[in-house]
Amino acid sequence: MAYPYEHPRETRVLSKYFGDEDAIGIDGWIERGGYKALAKALGMAQDAVTEVVKDSGLRGRGGAGFPAGLKWSFMPKDGKLPNYLACNADESEPGTFKDRELMRWTPHQVIEGIIIASYAIRAQHAYIYIRGEFVDIVRVLNGAVVEAYERGYLGENILGSGYGLDLTVHAGAGAYIAGEETGLLNSLEGRRAEPRVKPPFPAQRGAFGMPTTVNNVETLASVPGIVENGADWYRQWGTEKSPGTKLFSCCGHLQRPGNYEVPLDFNLKELVYDLCGGPPEGRELLGVIPGGSSVPILTADEIDCDVSYEGIEAAGSFLGSGGLIAMDDSTCMVRAVRRMVEFYDHESCGQCTPCREGTSWLAKILRRIERGEGREEDIPLLLDIGANMAGKTICPLSDSAAVPVVSSIQKFEDEYMGHIRDGGCTAKR
Amino acid sequence: MSDAMHPAIAGAQPSQRAEKRPEAPLFEGAYQDRFEKILTRYPDKRAALLPVLHLAQEVRGWVSPQTIRRVGELLDLTPAYVRSVASFYTMFNLRPVGKYLIQVCVGIGCDLCRAEEVAEKFLELTRTRIGETSEDGKYTVIEVECLGACAFPTVVQVNDKVYENVKAEEVEGLLKELD
Amino acid sequence: MDNDRKLINVTIDGIEVSVPEGKTILEAAERLGIVIPRYCYHPALSAPAQCRMCLVEVEGAPKPLPSCVQQVQDGMVVSTDCAEARKARRGVIEFLLLNHPLDCPICDAAGQCMLQDYAHETGQLRRRAVEPTVVLGRDHVTSEIVYFADRCILCTRCVRFMEEIAEEPVLQVIQRGHKGYIDTMTDELFEHPFSMNIVDVCPVGALVNEDFLFKARSWDLDQTASICPGCSQGCNVLLGTKEQRVVRLKPRPNPEVNSHWMCDYGRREVVRWGAGIRAEVPMVRESDRLVAIDWSRALDALVEALSEASGGAKAIVSPGASNESLFTLRSLMERVGFEGGYFHVTTGSEQVLKGFPKLALREDRAANARGAELLGFERVDYVYGALLGHRGVVFVLEEALDGAPEDFGEGVELFIYIGSHLSPAAGKADIVLPCPIWAEMEGTFTNFEDRVQRFNQALRPPGLARPIWLSFSVALARLGAGEPFTSVAAAFGALAEELGVYSGLSYERIGLNGATTAAAGSAAAARR
Repeated sequence: MAYPYEHPRETRVLSKYFGDEDAIGIDGWIERGGYKALAKALGMAQDAVTEVVKDSGLRGRGGAGFPAGLKWSFMPKDGKLPNYLACNADESEPGTFKDRELMRWTPHQVIEGIIIASYAIRAQHAYIYIRGEFVDIVRVLNGAVVEAYERGYLGENILGSGYGLDLTVHAGAGAYIAGEETGLLNSLEGRRAEPRVKPPFPAQRGAFGMPTTVNNVETLASVPGIVENGADWYRQWGTEKSPGTKLFSCCGHLQRPGNYEVPLDFNLKELVYDLCGGPPEGRELLGVIPGGSSVPILTADEIDCDVSYEGIEAAGSFLGSGGLIAMDDSTCMVRAVRRMVEFYDHESCGQCTPCREGTSWLAKILRRIERGEGREEDIPLLLDIGANMAGKTICPLSDSAAVPVVSSIQKFEDEYMGHIRDGGCTAKR
Repeated sequence: MSDAMHPAIAGAQPSQRAEKRPEAPLFEGAYQDRFEKILTRYPDKRAALLPVLHLAQEVRGWVSPQTIRRVGELLDLTPAYVRSVASFYTMFNLRPVGKYLIQVCVGIGCDLCRAEEVAEKFLELTRTRIGETSEDGKYTVIEVECLGACAFPTVVQVNDKVYENVKAEEVEGLLKELD
Repeated sequence: MDNDRKLINVTIDGIEVSVPEGKTILEAAERLGIVIPRYCYHPALSAPAQCRMCLVEVEGAPKPLPSCVQQVQDGMVVSTDCAEARKARRGVIEFLLLNHPLDCPICDAAGQCMLQDYAHETGQLRRRAVEPTVVLGRDHVTSEIVYFADRCILCTRCVRFMEEIAEEPVLQVIQRGHKGYIDTMTDELFEHPFSMNIVDVCPVGALVNEDFLFKARSWDLDQTASICPGCSQGCNVLLGTKEQRVVRLKPRPNPEVNSHWMCDYGRREVVRWGAGIRAEVPMVRESDRLVAIDWSRALDALVEALSEASGGAKAIVSPGASNESLFTLRSLMERVGFEGGYFHVTTGSEQVLKGFPKLALREDRAANARGAELLGFERVDYVYGALLGHRGVVFVLEEALDGAPEDFGEGVELFIYIGSHLSPAAGKADIVLPCPIWAEMEGTFTNFEDRVQRFNQALRPPGLARPIWLSFSVALARLGAGEPFTSVAAAFGALAEELGVYSGLSYERIGLNGATTAAAGSAAAARR
């Protein structure tokens, strides 16, 4: 049984067991071939594991798309300082809910990936920084971690290899910015989740001042398959620059919202119309945000591209986290953008002036336009505020807040002008 | 929760219980055991701050100034520092909340699917305003940003239970179910 | 330290400069006299790079970079003033002003406000925001310091001062994002002996000293480089004066003494020193009363009395008197035979600034106890004990004589009182000479570690009060000991010549930053 929907055109590698209650527990997981990759990895040299992941071309699934194997290779190998791994399970990009499902249905897939990655980067302690709001998922994950300890996949001398690893589940407490990797490190250290200035990068100075790798849940969940089956196996899917499969969290105005796993050369339009069933009956698609609310919106006729990192970039947006938000013609674009900007306003850590002040100013202007009190000069003003926010701050949250505003004005200026001229919204919501 | 809780997960219990004991000591019994286990998982005491605040909130229901001072003492941090960190994170209630903390997701995914109607229904039926606790102390309704289950709008979390696909017309039944 | 590092070449605004590796763009620019606007950056604190005011363009970089943390690299080409950098700055100013109350007319920081300065510089005339500003409240954070939340730009300098320099993180950012503000623990005030530095580091008027509130506009103040006389540390300060009064002291940076800081005690204590009933004219005793006369006749009387004196001289001096005053006093005493000079130092508990432990509010609450010692004055607990039974000449210099025995000054041959204030005990003196307080004169103090530092004159002395080094050098000349000093530099020069410990030092060499005595210098070198 799939969860919530399944489609024959999917390539279910990571999500093979979504909806399968029996795959959650460790016995069920082992029956399904779990922890074989770990045994194989522990028989390999640490750097050989990194090499396989490097060769596979796996890119970070948190949003930035940085090659995972390359990231691991930045970690010091001299053992002078303790190395750490932090699994970024602080999934909070609006429209994204893939890590939640990975942990909900296949917690051992994630844990196995964590152990292999920790081994490869020579970490003796790994943390899963899980979003605090995921109260139900935390319970599942906790159960799985305890099982893994009980079966000797965690703790000292794992599977007789001599390698030992402790894994601690660390729950966040409500801060989107803790999903930014340096914000995560500060939060893990018991501080405000304020992003750090880079350099130094986490591989030089990360958690507790020590070399640290931060990897997203989906990235780590992809690792066991790659280690077990090899880089070429993984490269059978996707493109040269974007190998493998990826989960797309699809929400908004769709007939069948949910997670769909497709190869990275899959067509975006087909994902929206075939797999997700397109917009509800009688509605037309207005636009699609393909990678979480931080990426530019695409109009309905811009989505005939493949979902690779480079494919979506060529179409004018980004793959980001793979959180696809579809909007049909009942959508008030100003309201939707206002809601997204309010999110960033709420989540701005407040360190950098342009982000702290800019997000709330944008939200105020958008609320005013939505109320029907907009002025024509608000359009260039919004664009200029966006320009003053983008690329001017420590982390990209400021850019993320500007993106929906700027891209929606570029593509849906009529919606704004309609509000300004008609004194409010005329969309049939 | 048992005495035998594994140290690896002792700190990862973000729990909002219906029963709140604002004056309960920090920490005793099984909670003391969890507190000590949390400390073993980090190279310094500061890192235990979030887990320990979660633990304190689980016991007391909110993070009061007294809680902040006590947690500061336990972890060698100034009360101002603990307050600063606690106030950064939305899950720490710096004011008391009702027996049921009702969190309605108004993130973009749920908003596109009329989350505001669900929120309004909760407010109407509990006769409260956003963030305020009903007179009988039972309900506090808040709007929260994306809860990360966007395929199942509207997502509502009551204490530590998650409800998916909540429609406005189902709110009344959901509230009845709580009691 | 700089010398050990490799030099690298960078071009900033078209000018090439060589700087040691590891310097930031902001520091490198300062070497060229280019001051890149900044708020959160402070030279003595960590740089969080969060205000984004110091963004500059670097050739080849995809985005503007924060110059406060970006280290220079060989061949780097930086522009601090190109259109992009200016636009970024204008953007930051506009963001900061969105919710700023613009209450400059009643703000203590007006005239010394970095927001005002840069807003003026960017020259944006019109407000683009039509949204009303957010109005927040104000609150005490210490019993003396008030926080105006609306004015705060959240640069966190104050937070970092308390964390990194005071090492007591009692002031923090509360909440996050645009809801953020600075506060202590709920409903608590904090106390710290160096708390007022948070007012100094605040680049705007968010943290103000209630004691100074509404007292003066900063541009109405005269500023004079001086030394805090509150303890033997000798913090370098700027005296803010207005209408013949010291209104405030602000630390003047000196990495060897006080970095950018000073204690609260110094600021509170010494501003009061000019108050009270001042001695304004010289007086001499005529039968049973003191009669005001001019300086010339007063010195005549002094010289005559000293020439006739048969016993030797003893003195009670203040450990706050300048080296030059003490030196001329001693020289004068030697004319009749120096039999001893004594001083008592008021003490209090030492308060070290943990993050800059060179600086402490010292136990000795006097500026020049060390200088007095080096000049042969003796530190005693009970100065009057040292004068018991003395029948010769008595000098009292700048010592109020509170707590003197009732019969003090009786039964001596000659009692000369030199002071800035009239004290009841001075009533028994044969000659009373008015002198200025430290702020009304110039001179040097020698601090606890033998560092000699100059303080400048900020105020006019009241009436006919005149520094003692000057009046006594005239008296000495009349007694046949050379020419009077024409400047305090000459007085110090004579002192340095006579007292080996100061050899090699001159008033000029001491300059504004001070200099250590040779002995202290070599002791410091030995420690290193």
